[in-house]
Amino acid sequence: MDEMQEIIQDFIIETKELIENLDQDLVALEKIGTDEDSKELLNSIFRAAHTIKGASGFLGFTQLVDTCHKTENLLNKLRHGEKEVTPVVMDVILDAVDIIKILLSKVENKDEDEYPLEEILAKLDDILEAKEDVQPEKAPPVMDKKEEEITSPQEPEEQVVQKKEVKGDKTIRIDTDRLDDVMNLVGELVLERNRLLRIVKGLEEKYEDDDDVLPLSENGARMDLLTTDLQMAVMKTRMQPVKKVFSKFPRMVRDFARSSGKEIELQMEGEETELDKSVIEEIGDPMVHLIRNSVDHGIEPPDEREKNGKSRQGRVTLSAYHEGDNIVIEIEDDGRGIDSEKIKLKAVEKGLIGKPEAELMSKKEALNLIFAPGFSTAEKVTDISGRGVGMDVVKTNISNLNGIVDIESEIGKGSRFILKLPLTVAIIDALMVGVGEEIFAMPLASVIETIRVAKGEIKTISDKEVISLRDGVLSLVRLSNEFDIETSEDLDRLYVVVIGLAEKRVGVIVERLYGQEEVVIKPLGDYLSNIDGVSGATVTGDGKVVLILDISILIQKQIDAKSLMTNSIL
Amino acid sequence: MLDSSAKILVVDDFSTMRRILKNMLKQLGYENTDEAEDGNQALNKIKSGSYDFIVTDWNMPNLDGLELCKAVRADAATKDIPILFVTAEAQKENVVTAVQAGASNYIVKPFTAEVLKEKMEKIFG
Repeated sequence: MDEMQEIIQDFIIETKELIENLDQDLVALEKIGTDEDSKELLNSIFRAAHTIKGASGFLGFTQLVDTCHKTENLLNKLRHGEKEVTPVVMDVILDAVDIIKILLSKVENKDEDEYPLEEILAKLDDILEAKEDVQPEKAPPVMDKKEEEITSPQEPEEQVVQKKEVKGDKTIRIDTDRLDDVMNLVGELVLERNRLLRIVKGLEEKYEDDDDVLPLSENGARMDLLTTDLQMAVMKTRMQPVKKVFSKFPRMVRDFARSSGKEIELQMEGEETELDKSVIEEIGDPMVHLIRNSVDHGIEPPDEREKNGKSRQGRVTLSAYHEGDNIVIEIEDDGRGIDSEKIKLKAVEKGLIGKPEAELMSKKEALNLIFAPGFSTAEKVTDISGRGVGMDVVKTNISNLNGIVDIESEIGKGSRFILKLPLTVAIIDALMVGVGEEIFAMPLASVIETIRVAKGEIKTISDKEVISLRDGVLSLVRLSNEFDIETSEDLDRLYVVVIGLAEKRVGVIVERLYGQEEVVIKPLGDYLSNIDGVSGATVTGDGKVVLILDISILIQKQIDAKSLMTNSIL
Repeated sequence: MLDSSAKILVVDDFSTMRRILKNMLKQLGYENTDEAEDGNQALNKIKSGSYDFIVTDWNMPNLDGLELCKAVRADAATKDIPILFVTAEAQKENVVTAVQAGASNYIVKPFTAEVLKEKMEKIFG
């Protein structure tokens, strides 16, 4: 019985993978249509349905067998040229795939209730029995086919080659829980390593000339290197290509284009770029929001595009690439762009910012307003209606991953959303800072620079502390005020850590800088999870528990305070 | 009947299916099983190892069961290895093709270990 459960688990995982590819293949198929080039693609689609049916039969999932069986029949007709690939046919096939997904999730949840299949089976039957079948003997004349072969043989062949490369032989499947365990253990090891290094350093200073200390230092250094290597190696085992997330988007964009009457092409680049599994799991939702936003509000209807001298077909491009220790994911559209002036108007209208502030805002700052909570668009503002729905959620999700989101847009040309994400979420580089008796960790990714300032350089403008930094004015927050910490003494020299989120910059006043440390993020317990400005905790080399600051909240608070201030002036 | 120490190769592109098949063979007392995920991989394995029995799916990418069967029969070193075809209901009419290509027998999905045993008894007497 146990063996059976394991087989069913395998079946679920493997079938999910098949379905993921299936969605992508089907959308690709619709683009190519029925011709010689689509043959390989059709074969692989057919095989997927066939395979799911076969295994389902053994496992007694009759509903899956029935749905797959009819779908397979239809695919077989497409394969043999007895039916043509039309949007209507594709709609039904995609619907069937959706039902297969539902049935699979029922298997996964051990839900044994019957799912009503009448509708989908009837739809499949209708198509199967439809009269407008293409007669095989009336296939296009051979000459035409040859011409097509000459003009477009490249693409599908490439796709086939890619497919083959993906199939590796040297892989094993591992329960992700086990990988998580390993990752946690490595996290603990990193903490112990940090601690060991601290102790070794103390001993080195104390017993400089002792012969026994030298080997200990050497050993410590090697441990340090090995731990870092181990951490990298374990991280690699958790890496997955971003393709895993990207693969569901062609279907989504296709469905949207079908239902809205827009013509949209989705391009994807850098799908092989790898990211930590946990990041992969978390970026799906924000990306769905952003892509939906692009196709819904960015891309214009075909007629409007034509009128403006653009191609009727709009384009959305997803790309992923490495940039240092970060992964960058961009979502770009060639639609109508976002009018920053309208955003400002709306933000003022909503009371998010004051009028004088709006006037002073740069275009970039204005665009970033769409991520502000409360910038919803219940009322219609023609060009930008709907923009902002869920956008603050996008930002929160990305911030939770210690990532940042940025936006660029040009009216009439399009918009680009840029997500910068860390390679992993479990271990980050942090700047350790001190205020009073307390130590805090600031994610290094958000730290722009640190400056030493004299007390006198800090000015107060309408109750707010600022310093002039190069050409501009930087608003400041005192960490001691944020967390009600008693500062030890009135220091003459303080440090300002400049943190940034997209275009926003805020200076955080601290008393001491300890330097950079690799920290393992430990979640706070449920009862502490709602503390504003803290995203987690970690243990330092000397065994102290240190809170990790939530940069996005610190910056957001500053923005809120600022707009409150501007409003009160009004 | 085939000796329980016999080396059996299970060929299918879907790992769940391979597992199901291996599990059934185990129930019948055959633990010395190996697997391949398509015809090409199977052929390489067959050429380098001595298998007593091959159970193969029909529809697979790269090299399908039929081509695999022909290739095995064409090689003097492997031509006598019994091959059992696992086919779907829809392919039932095509079994003639399989037999012509050298298949020893076929079995229609889904089946039980009992049915598999009967088929094997037919092949191995």
